[in-house]
Amino acid sequence: MLEITDIVTSYGKIEALKGVSLSVAPGKITCLLGPNGAGKTTTMMTVAGLLKPRRGNIAFEERNITGRDPGHIVQSGIALVPENRLVFPDMTVHDNLRTGAYSRSDDEIEDDIARMFERFPRLHERQEQHAGTLSGGEQQMLAVARALMARPKLLLMDEPSLGLAPLIVEEIFRIIRDLNAEGTSIFLVEQNVHQALKVAHYFYLLEQGRVTFGGSPGDLEEDEVIQRAYLGSAEQT
Amino acid sequence: MEFVDYLQAVTDGVMQGAYYALIGIGFTLIFGVMNKINLAYAAAAFGGAYASLGVAALIGTGDDFGLPPLIMFLVSAIAAGLFAWIVYTICFRFTPDHYELATLMATVGAFFLIEEIAVHSTAGEPMDFPEVLQGIVDDPMIEFSDAFAIRGDLLTIFLLALIAMGLLLMLLYRTKLGLATRAVAQQRTAAQLCGISVDRTNATTFIIAGVLGGLAGAMIGAAVGVLSPLLFVPLTVKGLIVTVIGGLGSIPGAIVAGLLVGGLENVFLALRGITERDMYVMLLLFLFLAFRPQGLFGKKAVRD
Repeated sequence: MLEITDIVTSYGKIEALKGVSLSVAPGKITCLLGPNGAGKTTTMMTVAGLLKPRRGNIAFEERNITGRDPGHIVQSGIALVPENRLVFPDMTVHDNLRTGAYSRSDDEIEDDIARMFERFPRLHERQEQHAGTLSGGEQQMLAVARALMARPKLLLMDEPSLGLAPLIVEEIFRIIRDLNAEGTSIFLVEQNVHQALKVAHYFYLLEQGRVTFGGSPGDLEEDEVIQRAYLGSAEQT
Repeated sequence: MEFVDYLQAVTDGVMQGAYYALIGIGFTLIFGVMNKINLAYAAAAFGGAYASLGVAALIGTGDDFGLPPLIMFLVSAIAAGLFAWIVYTICFRFTPDHYELATLMATVGAFFLIEEIAVHSTAGEPMDFPEVLQGIVDDPMIEFSDAFAIRGDLLTIFLLALIAMGLLLMLLYRTKLGLATRAVAQQRTAAQLCGISVDRTNATTFIIAGVLGGLAGAMIGAAVGVLSPLLFVPLTVKGLIVTVIGGLGSIPGAIVAGLLVGGLENVFLALRGITERDMYVMLLLFLFLAFRPQGLFGKKAVRD
């Protein structure tokens, strides 16, 4: 569904991604794990079009989307739930959702908002409240709902459990599983290895800008994944 | 001075404050969306007013203004919108985003460029601008007593400004364009992820601000009776003061602060005369910066 081939993305002279290749299968949950600074967020931002890769190729449903702007990418069916949620703080919850549907021009936007409120009752209660006044968990729900308003075929999620209480983390992962069961493909970056391996169909390990492992959760002992996701491989450090 | 004199001064001032408010809104809109100051803004606004004089001169003959004043307001608004877009393209579109001094200095340059063009094309002479109520009503004063009256032209300008502000708020809060503008102002990265073009939104914001400025420029021309390049600097300074007092990025703040500065300014004028008036307005700015730097409606801390 999403094919990333040998992409290099750099900040100035520093290469954050040094030739990353991976693929995301349709209808599955694919996780990208790795220590801080490995380039996970850079990968997400490159796919979403916020960063332009210096070289390499990104294809979505067989169409080349390398270096296209974010508006084009969201319209082709990829939406990103960004790290730190990035809700519009001085907009109401309802307006946040409308903004999520900005790329659409159909007349089912309000119906979709109603559906989001069914899925996230907490947002329904707070629909006229400014997003900046919501709790961290509620903001995360809102960020997910806002991304879903674009009706993506592939949902990118960058550390959705970051800074949230364990119960809320459970709920976020339940939502991820539900969305996937309904047919949305998911590409997830996570620090919470244990939870991520529970939901993932496939996972990749990213270390220092390179993919060092790709496979199914059973292929590697969880302890080793945790070791490498938090600390990196011994031979690389 | 008696109470009624203060009342008269404040009333006139608040009505004239309407165009300070419009200029302040322009500065604040651009700051809100781009986090940058456009110092050429008031100059471009007057550019619009001059353009409306030019159009009127092309149509009219001799002493006669070729256009009714209210049409001139419209021409001024459209021309200023165009000039604002040009300023955006020259000063912001291609200058590095992370280097804020670059755009600031570019707008200083644009300010002087516009001012020079105005000076050269009018030989530095003030140009007559038609009064708003010219030929519409005989007695342009609404008199309540010997000591208190409302100037009909100022009232017209005031009401026009209120309508313009109302339309702006509708645009911002009732349309998809407004949604995009607010989104870019509040969280630029997320706005991009929603498919909003930051560049197009910035350009549109400049045009909207320019239209308001053009309206204000024509209003000032109509209220003062003349247009002169000597107005450019004072209006830029007043606009910035209004923006700071209202709270950077706050539209209601700019409206309230515009009317407040207009009213107080006229009281200072009545008490101390034209030569000292602006000193007190400046003092007001420093008081705000010292004791309430976030302004009337600004936020204390800015969220990332």
